[in-house]
Amino acid sequence: MGKKRRGPSLEELLDRPWCYYCERDFDDLKILISHQKAKHFKCDNCPRRLNTAGGLSVHLSQVHKEQLTQVQNALPNRMGVDVEIFGMEGIPADVLKAHQQRVASQFQQAELDRQHATGNPPTGASSGGQPAKKPKLEPVSDLKKRLAEHKARRAEALAGGSSGDVTPSSAVQSTPTSGVYAQSPQIAAAQQYSYPQPYGGPPAAVTPHLSQTGSPVYSSYSPVGGQQLPGASPYTPSGYPSPFPAGLPAQPPVSYGAPPYTQQQPPPSDNRFMGLPTASNLPQRPAFGVPSVNAHGMQKMHMGHVPPTPAASGHSNGDSAQPTEHVSTPVDNQISGAANDIVPQAEGSSKPKKEKTKPAIRMIYNDDTFSPEEKKAQLSRYAYVPDQSTQTALGELPGNAVVGAIQESDTVIDPAH
Amino acid sequence: MTSHQFIVASPPTDAISALKFSPDPNSARIVVSSWDKNVYLYDLRDENGKIGEGKLLQKFEHRAPVLDVCFGENENEIYTAGLDWDVRKIDLNTSEQTVLSSHEAGVRHVLYSREHNIIISASWDSTLHIHLPDAGANPDSLPIIVPLPSKPFSISATATKLVVAMASRALHIYDLKALALLTAQADSTAPGGNRVEVEPWQRRESSLKFMTRAVACMPDDAGYASSSIEGRVAVEWFDPSPESQARKYAFKCHRQTAEDGVDVVYPVNALAFHPIFGTFASGGGDGVVALWDGLSKRRIRQYQKYQNSVSAVAFSASGQHLAIAVSPGFEDGHDEVPEGTVKIYVRELGETEAKGKGAK
Repeated sequence: MGKKRRGPSLEELLDRPWCYYCERDFDDLKILISHQKAKHFKCDNCPRRLNTAGGLSVHLSQVHKEQLTQVQNALPNRMGVDVEIFGMEGIPADVLKAHQQRVASQFQQAELDRQHATGNPPTGASSGGQPAKKPKLEPVSDLKKRLAEHKARRAEALAGGSSGDVTPSSAVQSTPTSGVYAQSPQIAAAQQYSYPQPYGGPPAAVTPHLSQTGSPVYSSYSPVGGQQLPGASPYTPSGYPSPFPAGLPAQPPVSYGAPPYTQQQPPPSDNRFMGLPTASNLPQRPAFGVPSVNAHGMQKMHMGHVPPTPAASGHSNGDSAQPTEHVSTPVDNQISGAANDIVPQAEGSSKPKKEKTKPAIRMIYNDDTFSPEEKKAQLSRYAYVPDQSTQTALGELPGNAVVGAIQESDTVIDPAH
Repeated sequence: MTSHQFIVASPPTDAISALKFSPDPNSARIVVSSWDKNVYLYDLRDENGKIGEGKLLQKFEHRAPVLDVCFGENENEIYTAGLDWDVRKIDLNTSEQTVLSSHEAGVRHVLYSREHNIIISASWDSTLHIHLPDAGANPDSLPIIVPLPSKPFSISATATKLVVAMASRALHIYDLKALALLTAQADSTAPGGNRVEVEPWQRRESSLKFMTRAVACMPDDAGYASSSIEGRVAVEWFDPSPESQARKYAFKCHRQTAEDGVDVVYPVNALAFHPIFGTFASGGGDGVVALWDGLSKRRIRQYQKYQNSVSAVAFSASGQHLAIAVSPGFEDGHDEVPEGTVKIYVRELGETEAKGKGAK
């Protein structure tokens, strides 16, 4: 599952090169420059394209003996030829600032619209609300330190019997940090399947796969875990999460390969997902089957499924990926759907002409039966009464040579009527 | 944007309805008809023969606003049409006015066909009148009256055809030769028998969804362009073959996006073809004049916006000048015309300024 692209960030938007003359923005400075050459610095009289308005001005005056008065295709307030623009060079500071402010406000507006459309909380990057939870990852040194501490404690515990201060949760929490990741599934499985067992029973005898890992660390460890069990013995799903989430954050969240936003923007209905640690931006690490099993079980349990079968080692990555996808698919749909809703708006505001499929139009003249001239002819000052008597004509017109001609022509045509 | 432009001196005092150049390529005379009831004759040349802001030569007052004017056989005679329902001939040398015929409503357009020596007028009484130039002088010579299915809004002619764009998006193409023959025969018929049902060579429906505002024929007699009140121009060909008809197209123009994102659509008031290059100019209610290459479907250029609606555009016979009549737009409901807002601009076109670039 690749990272889903959801709109550029504000920084990306602000970084985009844009054209001073028409406020259009571009992917690349090169494209911007060729745009300016083609749209704003092109000579109308020959195919020459100049680099700047000044260049065009010189070209026009030298080659065509003409004067450049304005930059073509420019916004009305940017037509001036005195500003020397090349790409992003030469844009006056105030204009640049205004542009950035507008981009930022457009971005925020788009973000708001998106939130309205999806009902999703804003992303951590954008603004307040619920900030996305960052996975707590301990640096390796910390892990090692804790492992050392743990080992020390273990040695102490082994030496002094089951001491009270070694709580199972802390034990569990620290185990996965040991660096021997391969063992953790068995730990998890051991905990799951050892519950119903008599505490004294050797775990290896209970679950076949445990026997595969005859790790001394482990075998000595399981009784410790067992200590906790009397309290937690009811085999309820609620009992499970307690050790796991405690342990999970310490693990590299390998199995949560879902894109960050899955966790960052869970729809309200998926609240149970919130309890899970978020994935970092780390790529998925398929090498470890272990955490994936954990995650798999976790998810299933969280979703109210029956706990998984103990064939932990048999779980493949694909298997583990499936439920993740299952959970995230509706979210993805929602988000991508929302993104689809939003994208035209966001882009539309920056370049309204192109993106609008069916823009609202306002017609200056909207009458399909009478032409403007007919309408105008109705005005009283243009009213003409078709009374062709010469008196009317005389009354209307001052006496000049033209009037004489009209009278004459009227008398000529009158017999024809 | 780079060509020279000047404003013609002493413009009309009210909106301009039409503007035409003299048919003589060596002349720089223009006639302008206006809602101030006058027809103006200007000569753009000064005493040294240099074309500049020009001067008003003559002014002919009518009884009502004049809606159209055109030159006749030479630049010494013009024909006018207006709200007084009359079609007139004016001899510029003698200032003599002759009424050729009277319609039963305002006359929107008048044009002279050089090839057939007839004058065609189109009136809101839904008729065309077709006259011979001597109609006024000869009382027996009556115009023939061609009834139309709707009010004509614009007419244009080539050497062989007459295109009449009407209300209800109807469009008729007449064979001018047939019209000329009928007119010649109608001369001898008795008065009252001059109403002739003429079957048009082609009947078409406008390719544009809204009211046709203007039509203009290509100088090479191949087709025509039409424009509508809804910021659109269509280019079509006369040839009825499917191949030619498949070439027709329409495009949007003369629009502006308002601040609230609404597209403001202006009527395209005027169209004019360049007599040599076959490109055409459009003038819109937004005050913009654009030059288009109808063949390669490209805009050649767009001039800086004028302060007011463009009501008429015309190329000179030599193709070296483009005249643009700017008047406050009556299309947007503002009927007052403040002083100094009516202007005639004349652009001196560069050698290739109006030339199509050809397909790239």
